[in-house]
Amino acid sequence: MIRPPRPQDLAGLAEDLVDYGGSRGADEIEVSISDGREFQVDLRRGRIENLVEADSTSLGLRVIKDKRTAGAGSSDLSPDVLRALVRGAVRRAGLSEPDGCSGLAPCEGLKIDISSLDLHDPVVENLDAETKIGLARRTERIALADKRIVNSYGAGCATQAITTILANSRGFSGSFRQTFCSLSVGLQAGSGNALVEDFWFSARRRFRDLDPPETVARIAVERTLRQLHPRKIPTCSVPVIFEPMETSWLLGFLFSCVSGTAVYQKASFLSDRLGTRIGNARVTVIDDGLRPGGPGTRPFDADGLPCRRTVVVDKGILKSFLCNTYAARKLKLASTGNSDGSGVSPGNFYLKPGKRDPRDIAASLDRGLILTRTLGHGLNPVTGDISRGAFGLWVEKGEIVHPVAGITIAGNLEGLLRNLAAVGNDLDFLSPFSGPTVMVGEMTVGGAAP
Amino acid sequence: MKRTDHLSWVDHFGLSRKDMSSILETALSKGALFAEIFCEHRFRTSIHMEEDIIKETGESISRGLGIRVISGDRTGYGYTNDPTPERIRAAALTAAAVASGRLNPGPPAPLRRVRTRPGIYGAGRPAHASSLSAKIGLVRIVHDAARFCSSKIQKVSVSFQNSLQYVSIANSEGLEARDVRPLVRLTCTAIAEKNGRREIGFSGGGGRMGLEAFGSGGREAAGIGRDAAREALILLDAVDAPAGDMPVVLSPGHSGVLIHEAVGHLLEADFNRKKTSVFWNKLGKSVAPAAVTIRDDPTIPFFRGSYAVDDEGTIPRRTTLIEKGVVVGFLQDRLSARLMKRPPTGHGRRQDYGCFPLPRMANSYIERGEYAPEEILKSVGRGFYVDKIQGGQVEDSGKFTFSVSLGYLIENGRLGAPVRQATLIGSNLDVLKGLVMVGSDLEFGLPTGTCSKEGQDVPVTDGCPTLKISSITVGGR
Repeated sequence: MIRPPRPQDLAGLAEDLVDYGGSRGADEIEVSISDGREFQVDLRRGRIENLVEADSTSLGLRVIKDKRTAGAGSSDLSPDVLRALVRGAVRRAGLSEPDGCSGLAPCEGLKIDISSLDLHDPVVENLDAETKIGLARRTERIALADKRIVNSYGAGCATQAITTILANSRGFSGSFRQTFCSLSVGLQAGSGNALVEDFWFSARRRFRDLDPPETVARIAVERTLRQLHPRKIPTCSVPVIFEPMETSWLLGFLFSCVSGTAVYQKASFLSDRLGTRIGNARVTVIDDGLRPGGPGTRPFDADGLPCRRTVVVDKGILKSFLCNTYAARKLKLASTGNSDGSGVSPGNFYLKPGKRDPRDIAASLDRGLILTRTLGHGLNPVTGDISRGAFGLWVEKGEIVHPVAGITIAGNLEGLLRNLAAVGNDLDFLSPFSGPTVMVGEMTVGGAAP
Repeated sequence: MKRTDHLSWVDHFGLSRKDMSSILETALSKGALFAEIFCEHRFRTSIHMEEDIIKETGESISRGLGIRVISGDRTGYGYTNDPTPERIRAAALTAAAVASGRLNPGPPAPLRRVRTRPGIYGAGRPAHASSLSAKIGLVRIVHDAARFCSSKIQKVSVSFQNSLQYVSIANSEGLEARDVRPLVRLTCTAIAEKNGRREIGFSGGGGRMGLEAFGSGGREAAGIGRDAAREALILLDAVDAPAGDMPVVLSPGHSGVLIHEAVGHLLEADFNRKKTSVFWNKLGKSVAPAAVTIRDDPTIPFFRGSYAVDDEGTIPRRTTLIEKGVVVGFLQDRLSARLMKRPPTGHGRRQDYGCFPLPRMANSYIERGEYAPEEILKSVGRGFYVDKIQGGQVEDSGKFTFSVSLGYLIENGRLGAPVRQATLIGSNLDVLKGLVMVGSDLEFGLPTGTCSKEGQDVPVTDGCPTLKISSITVGGR
């Protein structure tokens, strides 16, 4: 059994290095440590395929001297190696150029009780391997019991426990522990060259919140089978319903456009749009770093600032960019507590749900597409352009008539947000980016020549 | 870092040959037939320039080892970055847990060092040993070439990274392999603005070399900056993509991503062993016109995807996947090769010591054909020209998507207006069948590519000549 090092020792190590940096001439220094333990089992057709168990620790540090910055990192925590890295960073800082916006955040201390955030579940840490293997096995067995499923990509169960430690020369010192557990299965259906595939998963911080194998398997089977016998459709412009998983990437894309880093670099089409309308009144987007049990929840960010709740878009008006300390100084704004060390990362970034049942939204559609899956990288934050490969379900008069494959969807993020015709009530926090089912008034769906 | 150059292997990893054998013995102790140790010590340097200043430099060290045990088709893996004897033993026992306990494999074979393939890495000084000021000098050359290319260029950011990876592999069959892999990468993004419209361009260079990758006096570094700026400037006048099925001509080099995604991944042995790839039952069958030959070659000197020995200690070789349209082979790692009873090809790669190896591409490409590129373009009345693909994705069923950052309309056999942000979709079998013309101008794309599979990133290169696909779905507005 691998035992993780005691977090107290690591916190002491971080503070020692902060002191050492000061003694070697750094004006400011911050040290962060991530100490994690992971377990993962993958089964395929009932047999264990991979079993991975490990612990790993990594340390990062940043030094500022005369407004010049240097960073360093190591997975080797030998004191002499770390001290050499600190000395090297102090020396290298002289080779960067002075940057008026550099420097650590003033220490605000911690204003919340970390235990109220529900980040850590001892049950996850103590779960034995047999239980996890059993969960994965049951999930796959239930899915394969459906004879229409012809192959399995395997089922997996994973757990993770991470301790995060941060100390800096402004007097901040903090740490928190968090856990994650997940259960997933990937399936294939069809025959010959006409194969379809999909997967489903459950991922939570607490073991008791994890969906049971029956639920994960049932949804994975449904998602796979509903794609069988797809048709192509001619290129058209129709309303498109985004299922929650699809709304999720749309929000991830919006996040990359309101990230303070992209904004000051002018790498976002929203750079000059603070305070202006970017969507219709249905669009309210919030980043909440303090939502108890949320996948993106944390007490403080990588700059040591408290995390918080920020209204990013309020009824269509862009209210706030999400900033770390550096981007905030660049933009003459206040940090929103979203630092991840090098850039900006979300808390729980979500689209506020509406009141409509997702089934009613589909039933109201006269002719259009339910978007179920997308592939590819066609998201351009500089222009807001979206262009992706897609799979979906074709709807006529409120009824799903057949699956669709071999299509693309294209549009512009602002266009989509201004054109949001319905917002569902089915918000679930499955990832740091989440949203309910939404319907976009009209998008270009590329298929065969018209 | 001269100090590390003089370190012995024992100093890098704290393990003598005797230690390795004893760890392997522990790993076999629960009754598996195969055990392996992978040790890694990697040094990285990075420089970032944006907003006209050298913003930050970084240095990082990664050191750890992973222990793998294979029992039948089951893999157990444990790793640690705290290589104390207790931790290593714990990792070995974790990995051993997949074994059934019924076999008695006996002691591991005595270790014998394999001779790795020579001539893969640049003979010059690794970038790791060059001064930080020299690297900063290169970054400034790239930056200035982009920044002052045109008054429309508003923002430029440049990143430099080099790494030197020491690996040591030993397995219970007696194999011992060592490698020192240099890698350097210099990239530039430029943002151009005109009448409130902004567009972004990207370029980069590098390979398994030292700073000589960027030419004497950084000549080629300037080219990287200019290319990024030029792409952003062209896109300022780009039109929206056409939508629908049409003939498509693929540019040489950059379009190699399409071969990588649409064909390469599905010829990786694991997907075929598990019968999830559409190719699993197509060995010996024709899937493309006779002009189409596709290979993967990890031995091309200095290429980003190359290596002298793979991450399982197998000497890599050029592997033909599709010959004259017929599927003739898969990319193998040890596990798949053994289970499929095929020879290993040296394509077992891993991101780092925290990952077990998977069959992966290295430098994949489609061989040159007989058509002159102009002839191919001339054959298309109305269609789409793919100049630069920013990325792609494929699923095992063969359905793929590519994002084209820069394309052109083709009108009457000539390039027309530039096109921004288009998507190509299709299925790989259709695309292979549709490869009706193969050009004579084989090139490789930007040496900056990284391929992701099951959460593991490894450096790769892709290449192709000018190609014509008779019809493919283009998505646009």
